[in-house]
Amino acid sequence: MSIDLLIALITGAALFGVGIYGALSQTNLVMIMMGVELILAGAMVNLVAFWRYLHPDNPAGQMFVLIIMTVMAIEMAVGFGVAIARFRAKGSVEMEEAVELKG
Amino acid sequence: MTTTIILLLLVFGVYLVAVLEAWISSGRFRLTTPILSGIALLGRESIVPRKPDRIFFEVAPVLLLLSAVLAATVIPLMPGLIITDLATGALFINAALVYVLVAMLMAGWGPDGAYAMVGGWRFLGQLIAYAMLIVMPITAVVMRAESLLTTQIVVSQDGLWNIFYQPLGFVLFFIAAMALAFLPPFDLPTATGELAGGVEAEYSGVRLAVFRLGRLTLIITLASATVVFYLGGWQGPWLPPWAWSGIKILAVTVTMLLAGRLMPRISETDLLAWCWKLGIPLALLNIFLVGILVLVIP
Amino acid sequence: MTAQMFFIAFFGLAAVWFGIAVFRTYSMVRSALALLFSQTALGAMFLSMQAEFLGVLQIMMMATEMSIMAIFMVMFMMDPGGLSTMDMIHQKRLSLLAGIVSFLAAVGVAVFVDWGPVEMIAPDPAQQTIALGLELLGRSMLIFETAGITILTSMIAAISVAIQPVKQNTVPTITGSNHHEH
Repeated sequence: MSIDLLIALITGAALFGVGIYGALSQTNLVMIMMGVELILAGAMVNLVAFWRYLHPDNPAGQMFVLIIMTVMAIEMAVGFGVAIARFRAKGSVEMEEAVELKG
Repeated sequence: MTTTIILLLLVFGVYLVAVLEAWISSGRFRLTTPILSGIALLGRESIVPRKPDRIFFEVAPVLLLLSAVLAATVIPLMPGLIITDLATGALFINAALVYVLVAMLMAGWGPDGAYAMVGGWRFLGQLIAYAMLIVMPITAVVMRAESLLTTQIVVSQDGLWNIFYQPLGFVLFFIAAMALAFLPPFDLPTATGELAGGVEAEYSGVRLAVFRLGRLTLIITLASATVVFYLGGWQGPWLPPWAWSGIKILAVTVTMLLAGRLMPRISETDLLAWCWKLGIPLALLNIFLVGILVLVIP
Repeated sequence: MTAQMFFIAFFGLAAVWFGIAVFRTYSMVRSALALLFSQTALGAMFLSMQAEFLGVLQIMMMATEMSIMAIFMVMFMMDPGGLSTMDMIHQKRLSLLAGIVSFLAAVGVAVFVDWGPVEMIAPDPAQQTIALGLELLGRSMLIFETAGITILTSMIAAISVAIQPVKQNTVPTITGSNHHEH
C-alpha cells in the first residue's frame, strides 16, 4: 500500500468533504455550484491517483478524467444559463426563496 | 545554464520591445528610454489606493510577469536551447498565458476603483473572444507536426513554413495574440484615452514597473510563439539558427506594434461579434483544410 | 520521502487549503479566485503524478472557467466585495456533519481496502499523449462523439435559456400608428 496513493486519496476525500459542506450550506446558486465543482475535483484526483498507481499503461483512466472535465464545463454552462433566467425573473438567485414551481 | 541564457535573451528582448514601442509611438529612437524610465518608476512614490483588496493588488503584476516568463520556458530558440522541452509544450504555452487573464482580473478588482474594475472585466470579455482563436490554430499546427513538442513543431516545418501551409490559421493566431497582449487596437483593458489608463491607472512606483515589464515580456513571448508555430523557428538558408530566430522574432514584434496604428480601438461588442461569428467558423475551416492537406500530402 | 511524494502532498494540501478558503471568506471575488487556485494546485498535482496532458489541461480550463464564475458572482451576488460581514449560510451544523462524515467514510475506504500491487513506473509523457489520442479516436470514439453532441446541445440550451426574449412590437393599425390594441 503505497504512501503516494494514500496521500492522493486523502486529498480527494478532503476535497469531497469540503465540497459537500459547501453544496449543502450555501444559499446562493453560484456558491452551491462552487461546492459541486469541488466535489468533482475530488473525484478527478482519485481517478488520476488510481490510474497512476494501479494501471498506468491503460489510457482509459485519463479518458475518464477528460469526460469529467467536459461534464464540469457543461454543468457550469447550463447552470449559469438557468441562473441568468432566474435572475431576470425574480431578481435574485437565492435558493431559499426558490420554493415554488410557479414563475 | 540554458535557463540563464534564455532569461538573459528575454531581458534583452524586453529592452528591444520597449525601445521599439517608444520609437513607434513617439517617433524618436533613443536607446536609453527604457532604462531611464525604469529607474524613474522605481524612484517614484508607491501610492496605494484607500481600501484595496490587498492580496490582489500585490499579486497581480507579479502574476502577469510570471505567466509570461513561464510561457517562454517552452519556446525553442535553437535546437537545444530550450528551458524545458515539455511533451505537451504547445498546450502549456496556452495554459501559462491564460493566467494573464487572472492577473488582469486581480489588477482590475484589487484597487477598488471604477476605471480599473471596468478595464479588468473588459479583458474577460476580450478573452471570451480570443480564447478559441488561439487554441484552434494551435490545434491545426499540431496536426501537421503530429506532436505537441515545440521542437517537433519547428522540425515539421522543414520544407514549407506554416504561414504558407495554413495562412488562415496564421492570420487568426496573429489577431488573437495581439488581443491577448492587449496591444492596440485591442487595448480595452488599458484604454489610454477612454478609461484613464484602466487597469494600469491605480498602480504606481515599483508595481507599475513590474506591470509594464510583465506586459513587454508578454509581447515578446507571443512573438516567439508565433515564430515557432508559423514561421519555422530557427530554420533559414545561410545565417546561424539563433540569428534567424532573432530576426524573425524582431520582425513579428515590429508588425504587432505597427498594426495598432491602422485601426481605432475595437469595442467590446464588435470584437465578440466578429470573433464568434466569423473567427470561429474560419478556425474550424482551417482545421478541416489542414486535416485534408495532412492526409493527402504524404 | 521522495520528491514526488513531497510535491503531491504539498499541492494536495494547497488544494484543500484553498478549497476551505472558498467558503470562509466574505469577499465573493476572493472566493472565486480561491477556487481557481485550488484547481490550479490540483493541476500541479496531476503534473507531479506524471499525468502531464491532464495537468496542463486542468490548469488551462479551470483558469478560464473560474474567471467566468467570478464575473457571474459579481453579477448576481449582493456583496461581491465582502466589506459587510454577513454570514449567508443555512443548516450549518447539518452540512458540517455531512462534510465530516463523508470525508471520514472516504478516508476509511482509502485506508482499509487492499488496492492490489502498486506500479511505480509511469509511461513517458509523449507516449501517454499518443496512447490517449489513439484511445480517444479508437476504442472510446462513441463516448467522445456523444460528449461532443452533448456539449453542442448544452450550449444551445444554455443560450436559449439565457437569451433575453425579443420584445414583440404591438400590431400596427391600418393608419400606421403603434397604438396598443386592447
